[in-house]
Amino acid sequence: MTLSGSVIDGQPPNQTTPTGPVPGPRRGRRRKWTLDRITFFIVFLGLPLALFLIFVINPFIQAGYYSLTNWSGFSPEQEFVGLQNFITLAQDPRFTNAVGNSVVLGLVVPFVTLTIALIFAILITIGGAGRGQIRGVKGAGFYRVVSLFPYVIPGIAIGLIWRLILDPSSGLVNGVLTGLGLDQFESFAWLGNVTTAMPASIFVIVWGFVGFYMLLFIAAIKGIPAETYEAARLDGAGRARMSWSITLPLIRDNVQTAYIYIGIMALDAYVYMQALNPQGGPDSSTLVMSQQLFRTAFTESKFGYASAMGVVIALVTLVFAALVFTVNRLTGGKDDGGAS
Amino acid sequence: MNAKLTTTPDRRTVLRGGIITAASLPLGVTLASCATGGGGDEETTDGGEEPGGETSADNPFGMAENTTVDAVIFDGGYGVDYVEFAADILAETHEGSSVEVSPSTQIATELQPRFVGGNPPDLVDNSGAGSIGFNAILDQLEDLNDVIDAPNLEGTTIRDTLYDGVLAPSTYGDKLAAINYVLTVYGVWYSSSLFEENGWTPPTTWDEALELGAAAKEQDLYLFGWGTEAATYYQTLAIESAIKEGGDEVRLALENLEADCWSQDAIQGVFAAMKEAVDAGYFKPGGSGTQFTAAQAQWSNTQEFLLYPSGSWIENEMRDQTTEGFEMKGISSMSLTSSPALGADALHSTAGEPFIVPSDGNTAAGKELLRIMLSKESAENFAATKLAPTIVRDTVPADGFGSTALVSQTDLLSAAGESIFTFNFVNTYGMNPEQLPIWNSFLDGSKSVADLTSELQAITDRIREDDTIDKVEVS
Repeated sequence: MTLSGSVIDGQPPNQTTPTGPVPGPRRGRRRKWTLDRITFFIVFLGLPLALFLIFVINPFIQAGYYSLTNWSGFSPEQEFVGLQNFITLAQDPRFTNAVGNSVVLGLVVPFVTLTIALIFAILITIGGAGRGQIRGVKGAGFYRVVSLFPYVIPGIAIGLIWRLILDPSSGLVNGVLTGLGLDQFESFAWLGNVTTAMPASIFVIVWGFVGFYMLLFIAAIKGIPAETYEAARLDGAGRARMSWSITLPLIRDNVQTAYIYIGIMALDAYVYMQALNPQGGPDSSTLVMSQQLFRTAFTESKFGYASAMGVVIALVTLVFAALVFTVNRLTGGKDDGGAS
Repeated sequence: MNAKLTTTPDRRTVLRGGIITAASLPLGVTLASCATGGGGDEETTDGGEEPGGETSADNPFGMAENTTVDAVIFDGGYGVDYVEFAADILAETHEGSSVEVSPSTQIATELQPRFVGGNPPDLVDNSGAGSIGFNAILDQLEDLNDVIDAPNLEGTTIRDTLYDGVLAPSTYGDKLAAINYVLTVYGVWYSSSLFEENGWTPPTTWDEALELGAAAKEQDLYLFGWGTEAATYYQTLAIESAIKEGGDEVRLALENLEADCWSQDAIQGVFAAMKEAVDAGYFKPGGSGTQFTAAQAQWSNTQEFLLYPSGSWIENEMRDQTTEGFEMKGISSMSLTSSPALGADALHSTAGEPFIVPSDGNTAAGKELLRIMLSKESAENFAATKLAPTIVRDTVPADGFGSTALVSQTDLLSAAGESIFTFNFVNTYGMNPEQLPIWNSFLDGSKSVADLTSELQAITDRIREDDTIDKVEVS
């Protein structure tokens, strides 16, 4: 995705010259099918398309078909049952609970993560001294590196580490809290209490992702010409005003993309939830759709039913992406020239 | 005592192993109904390609020469080296042949495509949390009765070397679909050295247990503790106590998913006793957020609580995390009153680690490896290295290879005599994942006995009402 800097550069957005590798005219007329042209299309269009069809679209169609059968998963036999699986799904309290938990994750995790990431990114890029060159807070480079550390650790390791840190008896968190004299946290089960299990899980996921999205936003902000900020500052804008009126509108597309990426991750969240609370948490309060799907397929041997869950998960994800686009649009996304 | 132990199973696989061993017992009685109802036991064809060798006393299934046997073995609490031990014997007795032992912790996910594609392994240890539900593959499995009727390496018919009743849980109709290799004794485990030091005696009734809890409390110790993935060990304990108290009718009501089965007097009595222990603070708090191996180490290593209900795999599972001089011993689960219907020594014991031979594989090869595993030599090797008995009798010496836990297993089995029972409904219908959160909440004090009863009953009722789930009639 490109930064929406064209307006600021003073160029009408439409007249940007194409920079990508465009097959230039080779001797003679453009449309002539030369060997060169044909091989080019095969390699750059045909091959990816074939791979896409075989490994992406085909499994989608298969899953869609299996969701209409009662396939057990371990024998070739299956029976077509129509929409029965979906009807059962709608009435399955275990699945609706999981959908609810996933939706909570899909709403909270992107919002919290991106808010924090954005604040950090702004501090590191334009949060510094109010005079002289626009720069970040002191030690910005250090913070930038440090905050990326969590993202370097694989999700499963993050989950397992935090599970130990949150351990009621020997965990670091309760050790610190009781050390401060808060005796009510003696043996407090963060992941074992209905009220704290979900927030604690969300905290761990956010912890793992803030650094990466911060870096993404830093790159976007760095793409905004410094003159813009200087002009704003001459006009008397403070740092908060610059963040709200200049930075945010100009990196709007980055935020939207980030929102969709992390939202899809949060709707899945399998790795984190499986590491933190493999049995689904107290009263199944952290059981997510993907965990329930896995359980249905491999523990209960109902692959058809599980495929139906997969289809529902895909739909929920699509709805989520559509919502993000819509919200961005309704709040003025296209007026700012953000849509590319 | 633990210094002698040789192998050190990976902690994480062990962790899986625990729950799973618990779960993997004679799984799918579910299937019984398929086998008998749906028909076609007779259809079991004898595998695909049988280029086969000659059948003889040394080669009862006619395994071809120069065969590579493909075995996928659950790599859990017991590891896979005991199968490799049998594999070496096979390589010696069948020159030119060998066994490829592939360890796996996710049997279902790894083997699913192979079953669908018609090229499953020759022998599978279908165990662990990721095991395949028996109802899904029952009609694709060989009848293993001919393995049991074959002579072992020492020349005795295998059937005559086994403990009584160990084949029943995996027999569907007439078909022996799996051979459960390891004998598991369920009970409550404790450190006999710690008990001697303090002059305590292991409790035989729940009243005595509560008294012990009070005594422990005086020393800032807890009576019980649990880990979040293993909270249902206390459900197993409760069911055992209730079956002892009320006899077979309690067991049958649960097994057959009867309405109000969780409200039976015996079960309610045990639940009430447990609730008393919870309310009195005899359970170590925080269990619902503690990883179960960590919780078990609080018992075996730091000795923060006294009693732990589990299967006999517990010794092997916690090998690395048991303190010096722990002297692990087991008792049969506490009964409600001093004169329970089944007798105070009645014992929950059954065989686990189900080995199956898929019909599409090289069945002769799979059966031959299984036959070798059931020989006295292999079974003795298993008992000595894993400190657990197999279903083959008389492989554990009187000193239990220096393991007090193993000796106490033998004692429990002989004390129980005929009154050995088991129950399968939790595994048959895959209830454990749903029951876990309920038990976690009950044990940490946030659910009453009434909540516990109604929520467990709701799971039972849902399964009973669901026509797509095959029910198994247990008698």
